[in-house]
Amino acid sequence: MNSIKRGDLILDIKDLAADVQGRRILDGLDLEVRSGEVHAIMGPNGAGKSTLAQLLAGRSSYEVVRGRVNYLGTDLLALPPEERARRGLFLGFQYPVEIPGVNNVYLLKAALNARRRQEGLPEVDAFDFLTLVRDKMRLMQMDDSFLTRGVNEGFSGGEKKRNEILQMTVLEPTLAVLDETDSGLDIDALKVVANGVNSLKRDDRAIVLVTHYQRLLDHIVPDRVHVLAGGKILKSGGRELALELERRGYDWVRAEASAA
Amino acid sequence: MSAAPDTATPLARLAGVLPGLPGGTDVRARRAEALERLLALGLPSTRDEAWKYTNLRLIARRELAPAPSRPVDAGTLGALPAREGATFVFVDGRFSPALSGGTMPVGVTFTPLAEVLAGSIPDALSARLSATDAIDDRIRLLNSALLADGGILDVGRTDVRAELSVVHVATGGGAHSRLLVTLAPGANARLTEYHLAPNDAESLAVPVADLVLGAGANLEHYSIGLNGAKAVGLEDVTVRLGADATYRHRHLAFGAQLARLDLRVRLEGTGSSARLAGLLLAEHSQQIDVRTLVEHAAPHTTSDQVYRGVANGRGRGSYDGKVVVHAGARKADSKQSSRNLILSKDASIESRPQLEINTDDVKCSHGATTGALDEGMLFYLLARGLDRDTARALLTFAFAEDVIAGIALPTLRRFIEERVLGSLPAGALIRDFIA
Repeated sequence: MNSIKRGDLILDIKDLAADVQGRRILDGLDLEVRSGEVHAIMGPNGAGKSTLAQLLAGRSSYEVVRGRVNYLGTDLLALPPEERARRGLFLGFQYPVEIPGVNNVYLLKAALNARRRQEGLPEVDAFDFLTLVRDKMRLMQMDDSFLTRGVNEGFSGGEKKRNEILQMTVLEPTLAVLDETDSGLDIDALKVVANGVNSLKRDDRAIVLVTHYQRLLDHIVPDRVHVLAGGKILKSGGRELALELERRGYDWVRAEASAA
Repeated sequence: MSAAPDTATPLARLAGVLPGLPGGTDVRARRAEALERLLALGLPSTRDEAWKYTNLRLIARRELAPAPSRPVDAGTLGALPAREGATFVFVDGRFSPALSGGTMPVGVTFTPLAEVLAGSIPDALSARLSATDAIDDRIRLLNSALLADGGILDVGRTDVRAELSVVHVATGGGAHSRLLVTLAPGANARLTEYHLAPNDAESLAVPVADLVLGAGANLEHYSIGLNGAKAVGLEDVTVRLGADATYRHRHLAFGAQLARLDLRVRLEGTGSSARLAGLLLAEHSQQIDVRTLVEHAAPHTTSDQVYRGVANGRGRGSYDGKVVVHAGARKADSKQSSRNLILSKDASIESRPQLEINTDDVKCSHGATTGALDEGMLFYLLARGLDRDTARALLTFAFAEDVIAGIALPTLRRFIEERVLGSLPAGALIRDFIA
């Protein structure tokens, strides 16, 4: 992935429309994300934000009826979810699942090795891996018990979100899509999570934050802010758009879009 | 001239078998009586609600009488997890001193039942032997009619827990043993039972265990089914608990063509408690059935049941669990959870938790689910780059883990984990995850 330079097109969505159980959720969505950028996708509840995030990661419960999604020059929608992950697409789940009996750290190691195999690298050395994980755990302020617990087993909401970001920092994705990573976090946990995300900002990587609230953007400064409503991007702008949304809500964007 | 005896079915032929069984006058009379009652009742049929999930043709056609035992090689026992304390081995229902061994824990006495059956049977024992208090007395009567041996284990109160293992090997034909276990007040024991049958043995094993726990006694009881592909096993366990006694049963069933556990627990003493858990893994065309009856017969009694089933191929299983809270058992607390995972379209598991409450002021809950692997969990693992086979195997293992994690013996837990991994599709892929 070293060949990616700042400004390269990583994700290119054109006229995407998708149904969930026969209901149109996304309807003509366009989005371009370039390397080195942080994008925030905001919008009211039910706008299709989570649908977009999950669809990008390959969840099969969505039916794409129109449009295309290009990721690093390949047709993303043609790839199964595991293949997308191995090619560096990471979804931070809004509701990470608990998998009792499956060790947290082994899952992380398997995920990392799947990614390394894809890139033609040997499996990670066990000692190096543990050093890396401990290092990232410090960053995320997670204690050693995370090493021995089952995947998200008995974790609080905040711990689950931290675990998602821990996974992300270990896997070093090319495109990270974080779905409502800030929901359910108190201000201290929010700072830790933001810190983890910020540590990942790099020229050869892009981050897409899907969020309902602007407060996350106080800690992770976006280059672009998009308003997703009614299944499409209604408006895009800089960081100041998020502040305006915080102040004025979403209705004026919708009014503006329907007037246009 | 009397009519020729009916010898059309294995059951009808039993009358001719009894005279050849060893034992004194007492036991002979007892066997004849049991057979008479059994013939009157008949073997279970699919018309019986309690047996409607079970393939009864397998039982009706099986030779019920004990066959001459085939030799059991040391490797059979060597494949089991390392055992502490004493191990008692029964081959086709008969105690084998040669295969048994280990160190007898302090405070424990063992008497082969055949020794008792050879003479006149003491009254107390007689009552216990003829008790028909199983979930299904027909199975108990079959065992009573053919019983030739077994073991009497008495556990006294000591400072350390008594470690006891019982290995049942069925080499073909009927295998009928009776285990009578008594824990003195305050006694503490762990009893691990293994049920084995070689792969080609068309055996029918009816091991009966009758457990009595004195006040404050504590028993951790495992039943591990490791039967061969043609084995039929009908395990019958009854437990009675005195005041503040605690009983823990963990049933792990693998293999066998048909394996059924009938477990009846009677919480007779105030404050007694039972925790029952089980994992059944039905593959190929196996059938594994679990039936429990837990009775709260005293105040402040608690029971907790956690049963998990996994069916693959054409495997079938059932959990039929009933909790009865008797009048006067106020402050009874009971929980029942049955969850089942169906991995193929031809597999099935029936789940039927039931509750009968005859008093106020109780806390009872039950829940049952049966379904395929959770799509949300599967997607989570795929989204981390794991391949589909690995993800499915991991989730199946995680499902079984609920029950495996509670195995207190580390050697046994590892053994069971290996067994589960070995029977999972793609189990080898996930060995590293399980630590």
